[in-house]
This record gives sequence, structure tokens and C-alpha cells, in this order.
Amino acid sequence: MTRNAAFAALLLGFSLVAPTPAFADTSISISGSTALLPLVKDASGVYQSQHPDVKISVSGGGSGTGINDAAAKAVDIGDSDILAPTHPELHDNRVAVIGFAVVTNPSVSVKNLTKKQISDIFSAKVTNWKDVGGPDQKIVVINRPRSSGTRAVFTKTVMGGVPVSESGLTEDATGTVVSVVKQTPGAISYAAFSGTHGQGLNELSIDGIAPTDANIIVGKYPVWSYEHMFTLGPPTGEISRFIAFISTRSDLIQKNGFIKITDMKVKETDR
Amino acid sequence: MIALQAKRSHRNERIAKNVLRAAAMFVVFAIAVLILYLMTEGTKTFFIDRFPVWKFLFSSEYDPSEKLGGAAIFIVGTLAVTIFAIVIGGPFGIAVGVFLSEIAPSRMAAILKPAIELLVGIPSVVYGWLGLTLLVPFLRTHTSSPSGFGLAAAGIVLSIMILPTVISLSEDAFRSLPPALREGSLALGATRWQTITRVLLPSASSGIAVALILGIARAVGETLAVQMVLGNSTQFPMGIFAPTAALTTEIVIDMPGATQGSFLEHELFSMAFLLLLIAMVLILLVRFALRKRI
Amino acid sequence: MGISAAQKRTVRVTSDTGVKVRRFIDLLATVVLWAMASSIILLLAAFIAYLFYLGGHWLTWDFIFGLPKETTAGGGIGPEIYNSFYILILTLIFTIPIALAAGIYLQEYEQPGIFRSIVQFSAESLATVPSIVMGLFGLLIFVYYFHWGFSAIGGALTLTLLNLPALMRVTQEALSSVPDTLREASMGLGATKWQTVLRTVLPSAIGRMTTGIVLIAGRIFGETAALIFTAGLSLSTNHPYQLQPFRPAETLAIHLWYTHSESIVPDVDRIGNGSALVLLIMVLAFNILARIGGSFLTKRFTGRSS
Repeated sequence: MTRNAAFAALLLGFSLVAPTPAFADTSISISGSTALLPLVKDASGVYQSQHPDVKISVSGGGSGTGINDAAAKAVDIGDSDILAPTHPELHDNRVAVIGFAVVTNPSVSVKNLTKKQISDIFSAKVTNWKDVGGPDQKIVVINRPRSSGTRAVFTKTVMGGVPVSESGLTEDATGTVVSVVKQTPGAISYAAFSGTHGQGLNELSIDGIAPTDANIIVGKYPVWSYEHMFTLGPPTGEISRFIAFISTRSDLIQKNGFIKITDMKVKETDR
Repeated sequence: MIALQAKRSHRNERIAKNVLRAAAMFVVFAIAVLILYLMTEGTKTFFIDRFPVWKFLFSSEYDPSEKLGGAAIFIVGTLAVTIFAIVIGGPFGIAVGVFLSEIAPSRMAAILKPAIELLVGIPSVVYGWLGLTLLVPFLRTHTSSPSGFGLAAAGIVLSIMILPTVISLSEDAFRSLPPALREGSLALGATRWQTITRVLLPSASSGIAVALILGIARAVGETLAVQMVLGNSTQFPMGIFAPTAALTTEIVIDMPGATQGSFLEHELFSMAFLLLLIAMVLILLVRFALRKRI
Repeated sequence: MGISAAQKRTVRVTSDTGVKVRRFIDLLATVVLWAMASSIILLLAAFIAYLFYLGGHWLTWDFIFGLPKETTAGGGIGPEIYNSFYILILTLIFTIPIALAAGIYLQEYEQPGIFRSIVQFSAESLATVPSIVMGLFGLLIFVYYFHWGFSAIGGALTLTLLNLPALMRVTQEALSSVPDTLREASMGLGATKWQTVLRTVLPSAIGRMTTGIVLIAGRIFGETAALIFTAGLSLSTNHPYQLQPFRPAETLAIHLWYTHSESIVPDVDRIGNGSALVLLIMVLAFNILARIGGSFLTKRFTGRSS
């Protein structure tokens, strides 16, 4: 019996002092916002071709994932569409501005809605398109998970404090939202410009204002946010070089549907 | 010379025995640590966040950002999908198990058994993908389901996934029955079908129960295939085509965004712990059923 | 004296309705069961045909060995296939020794008693843990507690825990199929237990064990839920074929799920169909290999054909 105890103690001891190898010099791992994802992936491709010794691996998961992974040191950079007030240890590096559009399936003939109408639709008070000037068709609401930054921005700037109803379908990422909205007649959702532009979706004007970069720059279109790349403490070494790289490459920023921070004529402190 | 060799082989014998026993101990160690960790993380919701257990199980108010952790919707969702799967897959699986044991000629069995083995081997993502590309559009265009995602889609996919388990265990249950039972029944003039339904089935009932229980276990724990077609809408399933959510799908969707130490993280681990408890209960049921052998 | 329950049932059977009706029901039931069994074969054939139809023309050299594209169309799955094999091999390296040893101990060094029941029960419990729960456990231990972040080795260790019971069962069954006469003969010649196991029993059982191991390998190849939170969802595209295990390692199965889940490239369908087909082909290959390998080895080591 004591021999068994000895084995048990050995196993326990090993597990408590397991090694933490340091392989991570020139490797950068990134996760988080699926709205920012196209830009980060594009930039990482260009950066790695310029610096062949650097290894960058990028994934999505949503803004909440990015914040969480960065804070837990599971990744080096956490992308997010929103601030992280519950994590003061995270350093905020802003790299761009992104707009979000309310989109519907092309079968829906409605082109413009007021904020109140949108709020009623997403809180399940209105369930048929005919109630807002469209055809007699059931509204299929598609949501993002609760940890989504896109959803947080949408809720703050459009819903006016009314909670989003959970009765809609939930899709994980910007890209899936776009593809489900495309396939499902009567569908409506919210997604970043980086995912919606050029996809053939019906992008709604809100209170008569069209979802364009120009309208965001002058502050007329309300649904936008800064893109944050969070690091645990101020970024150093290769990580800080990569972050600086992204924020200065206007060609990549604009190609992927984002706006340069320096182009903005308005500022906000709460996003 | 021989004595030396004998001594060495005796020492090897002892070393070997200890190494082997260490490996066996490791298995015990692994499950113990697993249960311990999951129990610790999973009960934080109740001890640290002070959320009552009965509310976790029966309340449907779910909003982790407001510290509301009623998981009833997910529990019902898991139950609904499982029941759907077992109602279709159970009888079908038992029937084919009976077929394999009692009726199939060896050439048919030689095709059917590898086919079943292959079905088991298909990864759950591929089942989910098939469900997504085949089943969901079909349901969208041919039924009242507006998007195709929902309980029915997940239930159908799951029933196919549990078929192999139910089939092979049912077959085993029937095969292990003594031939005397069949012979006696047939000798008295019963047809094969009567023999199967009135003599063999009741006798194999404990084996069949095991088949069904393990099929249920598989359905309860399946994550990816279900998540791809369920719709993941946090509401009770209002009809068989309604989108809903299950314990496993909620975990896989919200865990990546859950901050360590947050209410949401504790809540999700409570769900994981609940899944573990359900699995353990199911094994105990299996052991109980096996002990009841006639 | 007394009639058993089964005997009572048998007697009840014959005092039934007419013979013709019973025969008809019997025929009907037989037809229905044949239909059900055939439908399963048809279902499998339909799945395979459909996957080939959807993904067949995407199986180009570029796709199978090419690098995935981050945001544009035309990506391949080369590194993901590499990671699938990498994690598979790493998992087997951990699982086979432990499962083999534990299985041998339980089967050959049989000591019916508390310890043996505890080990059996532990293995059974480990087997029913849902894979996502195992993935969460792996997240707690390897990603957070050990501070490895997302890593191939974290994934492999998690999969080891997941597959230990299955491999133990394979070992035990293979060992029990070896006739006791072999053991008795060996012991009779003066061999120790360990020598008997190592040189006589194991070689006889090796055919069946190989079949079991290869089949389990097939399942490991397709595993997803346990890897999402441990091996991660990404890989580095300019260093895709790394040898060290402490790095995120997206496998083919995860890639299929994640590409759809993220949907950031325009050709999600193409990648999905192609990946699903490759996964299916791998499963078929593992299945065939298991049978062929098993019967070849059995013949080689025992001279029997099964």
C-alpha cells in the first residue's frame, strides 16, 4: 500500500512542477474580434513575408475571447471591438475604426429603418416585416453570442437600452452571420463593414443615414467603434512592432473596410 | 549460471509488475483529478457567487452579465435533443441489432458490419457538415422551419450518430442469449418473429437497456454536430422545428469569451460538471442493468 | 420444480391466432427488418457518394498540400493535415504505453479485489466523460495552470486521457483471446510471468491489438471538441510545419468546423467540402488498414489466419 502511495505522490509532484518552456521569442499569437480579423490576417501575411523569422498565428472567437485570452496570457494580443474596463491590467492599443451595419437578406425590400423600429425588431416586439413597411414575411433575427464586441456596440448605439431578445439564432462570428443572412429569407442581423461590404446584402440606413465611412467620419452614422489590440502590459519587441505596423498601413486598413483613426473628425471615449 | 539468470529474471519480474501497476494507478489518478477539478470549478457558482442550486437547475433566467445563471433552457434543450434522437435511433437500432443477430445471412452481415464500423468512424464534424449542407436547406424549403436550424435538424443528425452504438450493443445482447431459448420456442411451433418478440426480447431486456443508455450517453455529450445545426437560440424549444440551445453547445459558444474568475466562467463549468454527473449516473445505471441479468 | 419465466412465455406463444396470420406477420416483420438494415447501408453509401460529389473536384495538389489563405479564396489544408498527424502520433506515443501497461496489468496480473475494481471503474468513468468536458479539463490544466497557452502537446495529452479507456479495452480483449494453454506451456518451461507476457502472449495478441489501435487512431484523427480549447484554432502560416509541440496546432477536423464558424474566406463551402472529403478518405483508409494490418500481423506472429 505504501508503494501505491509513493507512486501517487510522485505523479502529484510532477504535475505541480511541470515545466513552462520558453519557445516564444519570435512567435506572436492573436485571437479575438472577428470584425478586426480580416485586417489582422491580411497584415500578418504581409508582415511575415517581410520578416521570415516571425511566426504569427491568428484566430477569431469574438471580442470577449480576445480580452479573456490576453488577460490569461493564452495569447499575446487580444483583438476587441470594445473597451475592457474590468481588466485594467490590459494595455489598449488602438489600430483603426470600424463601422457596423444592420443587414438583411436581399429578399427584404425595406431599405431604411428608425432606431426604434430596429430596437423593436431585435427585442422581438415586431415579428413580421409587414409591420415596418416590408412584405408579409416572418423576421428571422440572428444574434451574436453575449461576449461579442459587435453585439455590445450595436446594443449601446442602436437599441437604446432595450435588451436584445434571445429568441433569435446565434452565430459565432461576423463571417457566419453574413453567410446565414445571405441564405435565409427574411433574416436580419448586425455586422462590421469589414464583413458586409461587397457581399450582396441589403445594408439598411438608420434614421435616413446610410452606412458609409464618410458618414462615420463626420459623426452622422452612430454605429462604429475603435478596434483595440490588447496586450498584457505595454507591448514590447516584435509585438509592438507588429501593432505599429498595422496602425500605419493605410492601404491595408482601407482595403479591408476600416477607417484610419487619424481620418476621424469625431472622437468618443466610451468605445 | 542458471541461478544468476533466475535472479535477474525475478528482478525483471518485480520491476515489470511495478511499472504495470503504476500505469493502472495513473488511470485512477487521472479520473480522480478530473472529477476533483471539475467539482471545484463547477461548484464555484454556488459557493463563491452564491447562486442557488435549485435556480441553476430550474430557472430559465439566463444573463451571466447580471449574475443570473438559470440553466433550465439548456437542460431542457439537451433533454429534447436526446429524446428526439433516442426515439428515432433507439427502435431502429434495436431492430437492426435483432436483424444482425437473428436474421441476417453471413453475406449480408459481412457488408452490414463494416458499414456500421464506418459510420462510427465518421468524425462528428463531418456529420455536422452533412447536416449543414444537406439537412438544413432541406428543412428550410420543405417544412415550416424558417431557417432550417433547430431541434429537428439536431435530433435527426444525432439519431444517425447513435445508431451504431445501439445496433452493436443490441446485437451483442441477443447473441449472448442461450440457443435453447430459441430452439424451445420454435419447437413449440412459434414463428421466428414471435420468438423474437415474445421470448428473446424480454430475456435480452437488460442488454437492450444498456444499449439504449449508452446511446443516450453519446447523445448527451455530443457537441460539434449539434452546435452546427441547432440554431443556438437561448429559448425553450417551442416546436420540433424551433431553434434552441443545449448544455454542450452553450459551453462551446460562450467559453472562449469567458474571463477567468467571472460568473460566466463558473456557470459554464457548472454546466460541464452537470454533464459529468449525468454521464456518471448513466454508467451506474448500466452497471445496475447488467446486474439484473436473468 | 417450477417453470422458469422463459418457459412460461414460450407456452403462451403457441396458444395464439391462426397459423396463416402468424406466418404473415413473420414475413412482414422480416421484410421490414431487411429494409431497415439495407437502409443503413444505403445511408452510408449516400453519405460517401455525396461527400465525393461535393468535394471531389476540389481535391487538387494545391488544396491538399497548399497553405491556407487568411482572407482570400484558394487556401489549402496542408498544415492542418500535418497537425492532425502530428497530434495523432503524439497522442499515441503517450496513450499506447500507459494503456498497454494498464491493460496487461488488469488482464494478466489479475488480483480480483478492491484495487482491480477501482481501476476498472475508473476506466469506465473516464470513458463516459464527454469530449467537451475533457477539453475543458485540458484547458484548465495545460493552457492555464501549466501556462502552455494553446499547444499541440496540450491537445495530445487531453486526447490521451480521452482514449486511454478504449485502448485499455482493446488490450484486454486482445489478451483474453489468447488461449491459456500458451501461458501454461510457457510457465511450465520455467518462464516468469513477465517473460510469458512479453514473449508469448503479446505476440499472439498483436494482430487484434493493431486492429484496435488503428481504429482508435482513426477516431483521434477526427476529434474536435477536446482540441478546441487545448490545441487551439490557428497555426502560423509562415512556419506551418514545426517540430516542437508547444505551439497552437489547428487540425483538419478543427479547420472544417472553424472555417465554417468564422466564415471569413469567400470559399468556405469549397474548403468545407474538400476537408470533409479528406477526413472521410482518412477514416476509410484507417479502417482498411486496421483490417489488413491486423490479419497480416496475426498470420505472421501466430501462423493462424485470425
